[in-house]
Amino acid sequence: MDVVITHDGRNWVIENDRLRLASPTLDELDVELARLMRARGMVKKGQVAKVFMGFDNATIPEWMRPFAQHYFNRVVEVRG
Amino acid sequence: MTSVNRKWYSGMATQEDWWAVYLGLFFFFLGLLSIAGVDLVGWAVYPTKWVFNVPEGGKGAISHAFYALGSKYSLTAKAFYKSLGWWSIIWTYVIFTIATCIGAASMKWDLKRFFIGWTIIYFLTIATWFIGHHAFFAANKTNWHQYGLNFALSLGGGASFILALIFGLIIGNFFKGFANYLSVAAKPEWYIKTAIVFLGVKVGYLPIKAAATSAKMGQQMASLTGHLFLAGAVATIVAYLIFWPGIYLIARKMFKLPRKTAAVLGSGISICGVSAAVATGGAVRAKPVVSIMVSALVVVWAVIELVVLPGFFTHIWPGTADPLVAGSAMGMAVKTDGADAAAGDLLDEFMRNKVTAETNGAVVWPEGVITTSAVMTKVWIDMFIGLWAFVLAMIWVYKIDRRPGETVQASEVWHRFPKFVLGYFAAWFIYLGIFFANGAGAPEGMHVLKAAKAGAVPVEKGFRKLFFMLTFMSLGIITDFSKLAEAKFGRMVWVYFVALFCFIIPVAIIIAYLFHHGMQIPNIAGQVAAG
Repeated sequence: MDVVITHDGRNWVIENDRLRLASPTLDELDVELARLMRARGMVKKGQVAKVFMGFDNATIPEWMRPFAQHYFNRVVEVRG
Repeated sequence: MTSVNRKWYSGMATQEDWWAVYLGLFFFFLGLLSIAGVDLVGWAVYPTKWVFNVPEGGKGAISHAFYALGSKYSLTAKAFYKSLGWWSIIWTYVIFTIATCIGAASMKWDLKRFFIGWTIIYFLTIATWFIGHHAFFAANKTNWHQYGLNFALSLGGGASFILALIFGLIIGNFFKGFANYLSVAAKPEWYIKTAIVFLGVKVGYLPIKAAATSAKMGQQMASLTGHLFLAGAVATIVAYLIFWPGIYLIARKMFKLPRKTAAVLGSGISICGVSAAVATGGAVRAKPVVSIMVSALVVVWAVIELVVLPGFFTHIWPGTADPLVAGSAMGMAVKTDGADAAAGDLLDEFMRNKVTAETNGAVVWPEGVITTSAVMTKVWIDMFIGLWAFVLAMIWVYKIDRRPGETVQASEVWHRFPKFVLGYFAAWFIYLGIFFANGAGAPEGMHVLKAAKAGAVPVEKGFRKLFFMLTFMSLGIITDFSKLAEAKFGRMVWVYFVALFCFIIPVAIIIAYLFHHGMQIPNIAGQVAAG
């Protein structure tokens, strides 16, 4: 599954057309994501789902983008 | 609209870094056609020194203050390019306006604002170039008399750079509304990266130029650029393995900054400025605001270094005794590509004028070698930022902030790789290949090298200098010193100050001395006299 990750100044936010989550730390975000995916049956027991989080570079102020156009992408494995 | 680097080709149409490669290589290939007898770049505008009243038998008529470089170097259309004169300003404007507007449209910028902003910046730059070439600013001691002067500042082309920066800073700090309007087109990173691709043509062309004196000198020049490339590699070790740990420790132990802030600040100050701060912020999963604050500091400090260091290195130490030590130290000390390349070119102008004046014209250095030494070290540092951020990400994700289930992808290295260096190396190696494939200065290959020269000079001299000028002007426009006072940077400002002046600059000078001391720039005084 692919989601877009941003930071709104307080929280890390991930979203796609099926979910939206926000948490102040990445640790909490990952826990929330795993809980939600299990609850919605997006990952079955015994399965491992890979979630690709692509950072939205539009989060970086425009004046900085010419210097560096990539913040990070991360992949998180969620176990059912 | 979201902008995510998902595939290896993400951003190829929308990032300035890629557009520097396209713009640089397009004009590079246009120049290369001269080998086939087609001269399509001779319209490149270039200034020359002028005075209001030309002395009898002297030179410097205002009517010749701008000319098309093809009028001097073209082999096939010299008469046409000679007829352009000042009109070469308009030719250059029209062609680069089309090229940059295509880039701006592809990057989805406000095209109307870019067009107007670009037009204003271009003509301001040309006006500054003109003023900066008044003989009082630019004439060297050896030719004051030709312009009817008893004294001149002897700054060479450096005067234009300084004036462009001053005019830009006046706009950026006293006419903030106007500066904000121009900011869509004030793109120092785009312009300097394009200029660095043009510099690749310069580095490849230097042996061809030197071969006009003798085949041996051409080979010496090829060897010197090769040595600069190899010696520049040491900068990588210095930046990543000496500067970074040093700054990290200063920030943690002396200033008690948090671990992530110290890591981001360490990269910003010691590696390659904003790009390193952003890469490291992402690698250690810091909130973006940390990278943003460090970046704001880096940009302002880089401009301060740009103002101070070229004069310091030229007139205090190491002076003309070791110009390549100075160039290399510049590459290690000045963060951001724009400020470094600009400072390197300013140093190049200062040093060449000083050595010519000191020796009464007996020693003349070809332009661009000192700039090359400054940029070469920086390019080495830039190339490894992706790898460095990847290593940091692994340390952070797998060790320090261990999160079960998270993995770090190798594709991160590519996403952070500075793409403009691909254009720089391509341009360099192709011209170097032309030099060696045609006898390396031997008489039988000289007709090809002369044809290559006709297309190379407008690119490496005309376009490169123009884009350096645009960089200086744009840097000034976007630099607002009041931000330094307004923002609550707190201890970070002091970490930066202490680190830069007590650690980075002294160590950069020592390392540059160890690896570049004694490297000699070939003297082309004979060639200049003959030409």
